[in-house]
Amino acid sequence: MGGMKRSKKDSEKKSKKRKKEDEEEDEYMVDTPGEAVDADGIPVAAKANVETVDEGVPEDEFGAKDYRKQMILKADHENRPLWVAPNGHIFLETFSPVYKHAHDFLIAIAEPVCRPEFIHEYKLTAYSLYAAVSVGLETKDIIEYLKRLSKTSVPDGIVEFINLCTLSYGKVKLVLKHNRYFIESPYPEVLQKLLKDPVIQECRLRRTADKDTLITDTQEKAVIPQFHGEASTSSATDQSKPDEKNGEAVPDDITDFYEKMDKAEEDNEEDTSLKTVSFEVNQEKIEVIQKRCIELEHPLLAEYDFRNDTVNPDTNIDLKPSAVLRPYQEKSLRKMFGNGRARSGVIVLPCGAGKSLVGVTACCTVRKRALVLCNSGVSVEQWKQQFKMWSTADDGMICRFTSDAKDKPMGCSILITTYSMITHTQKRSWEAEQTMRWLQEQEWGIMVLDEVHTIPAKMFRRVLTLVQSHCKLGLTATLLREDDKIADLNFLIGPKLYEANWLELQKRGFIARVQCAEVWCPMTPEFYREYLMCKTSKKLLLYVMNPNKFRACQFLVRYHERRGDKTIVFSDNVFALKHYAIKMNKPYIYGPTSQAERIQILQNFKLNPKVNTIFVSKVADTSFDLPEANVLIQISSHGGSRRQEAQRLGRILRAKKGAIAEEYNAFFYTLVSQDTLEMSYSRKRQRFLINQGYSYKVITKLSGIDDETGLLYTTREEQNQLLQQVLQASEMDADEERIPGEGGSSAKGVRRVAGNIGSLSGADDAVYMEYRTRPASNVKHPLFKKFRMR
Amino acid sequence: MSDKSKNLPSKQSLKSRTLQCKNLHEYLKTLNPSTLDNLYNHPTTCLAVFRELPHEAKHFVIRLLFVEQPVPQAVISSWIPQAFVKELTAATNTLSELRVWHGAPIPGGLPGWILNPSFRKNLQSALLGGGKPWTLSAQMEEDTKPRDIKFLDDYAMERWECVLHYMVGSHQQEGISADAVRILLHAGLMKGDEEDGSPIITKEGFQFLLLDTSAQVWYFILQYLDTVNERGLSLVECLTFLFQLSFSTLGKDYSTEGLNEKLLIFLQHLREFGLVYQRKRKAGRFYPTRLALNLATSQVQLQNDATQAVEGYLVVETNYRVYAYTDSNLKVALLGLFAEMMYRFPNLSVGLLTRDSVRAALRSGITAEQIVGFLRLHAHPKLLANNPVLPPTIVDQIKLWENERDRFTFTDGVLYSQFLSQSDFITLRDYAQELGVLTWQNEKKRTMVVTKEGHDEVKKFWKRLSKNSS
Repeated sequence: MGGMKRSKKDSEKKSKKRKKEDEEEDEYMVDTPGEAVDADGIPVAAKANVETVDEGVPEDEFGAKDYRKQMILKADHENRPLWVAPNGHIFLETFSPVYKHAHDFLIAIAEPVCRPEFIHEYKLTAYSLYAAVSVGLETKDIIEYLKRLSKTSVPDGIVEFINLCTLSYGKVKLVLKHNRYFIESPYPEVLQKLLKDPVIQECRLRRTADKDTLITDTQEKAVIPQFHGEASTSSATDQSKPDEKNGEAVPDDITDFYEKMDKAEEDNEEDTSLKTVSFEVNQEKIEVIQKRCIELEHPLLAEYDFRNDTVNPDTNIDLKPSAVLRPYQEKSLRKMFGNGRARSGVIVLPCGAGKSLVGVTACCTVRKRALVLCNSGVSVEQWKQQFKMWSTADDGMICRFTSDAKDKPMGCSILITTYSMITHTQKRSWEAEQTMRWLQEQEWGIMVLDEVHTIPAKMFRRVLTLVQSHCKLGLTATLLREDDKIADLNFLIGPKLYEANWLELQKRGFIARVQCAEVWCPMTPEFYREYLMCKTSKKLLLYVMNPNKFRACQFLVRYHERRGDKTIVFSDNVFALKHYAIKMNKPYIYGPTSQAERIQILQNFKLNPKVNTIFVSKVADTSFDLPEANVLIQISSHGGSRRQEAQRLGRILRAKKGAIAEEYNAFFYTLVSQDTLEMSYSRKRQRFLINQGYSYKVITKLSGIDDETGLLYTTREEQNQLLQQVLQASEMDADEERIPGEGGSSAKGVRRVAGNIGSLSGADDAVYMEYRTRPASNVKHPLFKKFRMR
Repeated sequence: MSDKSKNLPSKQSLKSRTLQCKNLHEYLKTLNPSTLDNLYNHPTTCLAVFRELPHEAKHFVIRLLFVEQPVPQAVISSWIPQAFVKELTAATNTLSELRVWHGAPIPGGLPGWILNPSFRKNLQSALLGGGKPWTLSAQMEEDTKPRDIKFLDDYAMERWECVLHYMVGSHQQEGISADAVRILLHAGLMKGDEEDGSPIITKEGFQFLLLDTSAQVWYFILQYLDTVNERGLSLVECLTFLFQLSFSTLGKDYSTEGLNEKLLIFLQHLREFGLVYQRKRKAGRFYPTRLALNLATSQVQLQNDATQAVEGYLVVETNYRVYAYTDSNLKVALLGLFAEMMYRFPNLSVGLLTRDSVRAALRSGITAEQIVGFLRLHAHPKLLANNPVLPPTIVDQIKLWENERDRFTFTDGVLYSQFLSQSDFITLRDYAQELGVLTWQNEKKRTMVVTKEGHDEVKKFWKRLSKNSS
């Protein structure tokens, strides 16, 4: 984060621009490899992996893993929906009469791997089981139900694995009641075991007489907060029983078990005369005890008894009557507030499915001071809009804390800011310093973490150590990272509470029906020759600037403008972005575009019928809310990032009004240059969405493109001119837009740059910028680094 | 001074051969006339041939059935309206080719048609009755252990799968007879391995596997019939017997009495492939199975019957997964030809279509069309509710994978090289260019390629040029 080092007084104007970038676009930060990020934050059992269980499994003659010996088919297998493989993969028939229940059950205990139309695949992981336990499922129920649903016998290894992962988890809770922290558990023996540990003993807070006895209490009746919305009744009824009208025989044991499980849930809701034992712990030692418990294989579940919290004042916000929750939103919230307390965790909903409303509702339910963290200035504004739209909060209650909007924080009940504002390590302005101090002093009721997948664990730690909050709600659309560190979030925030099925939401019209297409653009011979000869990163520029791609893009833009659609064109490469936009005479937004200009462009896009197409760089990947857009064209992208693909699709997913009649109401085009690297990237990128049930149509030829007149780059001469321009572009142009903070270690050192004299003398729109070399004091010795973290 | 011209490899030689499966008529046409005439000595054959004729041809045959003298061609043409000349010629051609009728001048000298006398006689008896009884069973006492249709179907499929198993080389099959192996080798479905001579499957064999069962049986039997003469069996007898079988009733037993020694051998072969069921070799009775019954009927009908008998078992998903509801090794093996198999459960196999796996299949000679056809043919009933049955993206992708192997465009051409001087080369090249027949040229190597059409012109020009200069 280079630009922040200068003090504000020095170069107020210049730094402002840099700083804004810093704060807003910290979204592709990646944990620096090699750093042992979380080795100590995760219990050992979590590292257990069922996949390894089946290494010795024989392969049949066709190269498949042969599980036939370990799984014995039941006689009535046709009526049961599952296969449970010994490596933890579970296959579910969607056409089974008990599908709905099996699905609800699986989503609670396993991670969905792929969910197309007929057969879904799930995977049991340590994390998913941890999540299952934390929402109240018990080991024996999980195993029993799994056995009943399965078409075959459940392999012993799986039973063992479930036991291993669930027996110790979820037994102990860290509860904040009456502003005192308690370790609570319904199992006295577990607490006894914990108390034998010297570290924990030290953390225990003893008051007067109750020497070594545990506090026993009966948990009083907890009332489930009701989320209003007509959906609640309907979902309750359709959930109650398997469709009997279906006429298909459902084995009795499955239905019996439903009833039992349903009853158990109700019991839980109505009277919880559950006996729990607890002891109080010292507030300052919370961190220590949390860590120690993880080491002891009893990770603490954080729960917040917000109703009984009398110290923190209630805030006066409520949902507006106009805010109606959709069934899946309600379901996700029920998981969070299942037992009358607030659990911490992550809720995964597709983009455009109304994540903000879930966040707002959660804040209104807790009714304590709320902190919302998001990853750009634009989305801070959008969150504020959302609060004003759905809840009774007004301007006075909502405070934004960003580089250019610093509302008075004191006395507000909702604070919206960005991750980078909080974790910022350099000097702040006096004003910001004051706000930060205030923020740190507060005891927050709920912390909503938007786009939680984008932040690295390290940064999280910082946020969590700086800000005290009772419960944390992570929101995201794509719980996946290319570095597969996502699982660590489970232990930093909490388990995944809910994950929606994209295809199902699409079927029910909550998100748009999108036609995904991959358009193959053949490379022109000249470009392909250069591409093959080129050894540098300029390859990228060559396939992005492929004239055929340009024509395809122009054709699609025109085609959809004629239909009256609103189109967004994405390009990660700034050179291409500018070139395309300027040639087609369309507005564009990228990193250096100022906040005011961005808002102006977006407003025009929304309201002005003459502006139907905008070009954006990857700054718009997440949290640019553009409900009008229904066509997306992607001309260059960030390698093989599955997440980016899903996020981009999310830009057009918001349900569209009216166009119910058509089969598809949104279009997602990816333009790829044939026979180049892009093809394999594109295949890789699509994996996530394909697993969600989307299918990509490959278009090898756009019909009608030859009849279209006035397309650019149709003649050889024009194409060759373009090629010259591309070849003259400097190597810097070939890079993707480099966003500050994005693991930019590669930029170090000297490199040879092929360029022209013009660009060296600043003709290429380059601005001389003042850089201060790294101060000598900023040595990165690990020893010192530790102290500087704060 | 020399110019060498040689033909560049043409497109055909690089393309893989596809399996040709003839239908009944196409097969009969290949037989020599005397065999064909002999065949018509049996009512069953005549009826079978008649059944497969195009509608117009059937019409002609019925109208001529009792006419014992030639009928003018013009009269016959007048039976069909002018608008359907195409159908008319197709029908007349078929009838001539099958030797059902032949041309005969009528007294006035006009060209006419007359039905093949033996065909006429035997078709009459087939349609009206009379003649020798052609059921094979004489009066026969009831079978003590009658077999029902379900049993016969299972038996037929089991026997037939044995052959297929053998082809895919799956380990757990019981062996098949040397005779069957010989047929497979003869048909080119398998070939001797170069190293140890043991039979391995060929490209055609892979394609064969993906056909539906009745097409497979028909193809296999045709190949078998090719070899009957070598075995000392009579082709006419065998064919006649097959046709008789095809008119028998499923689930009824027939006596082996009256069959000669050769036919009994033939019967044993059919038994091995599952076309007939016999409890024991010398049981004296046999049951024809569905495979035999379907033999001589046309493709369209065949498919309906076959698919009704076996339910589809493949679920193809948009994420390239293929789930096979089966425990049959054969079915999994077939799927394994073009999919990467992942898991094997007691009643389900999970596979994945990948670029590599499909390309491997394409390399072994299977076409994308056949893969898609196979997936569609065996689609699970749940999939059938969809329209189209298979996810279009998957179908497209399989075809794209095939196309991607076929990126070359071929132009036939003639290579000119070894010019002695640069100026000769340039003159000739410029001439070819002017004509617009130059495909490729390299000045440094003095080599050029002209299209086949342009070759004559360019050659003439070159001859003139060299004559002038010498």
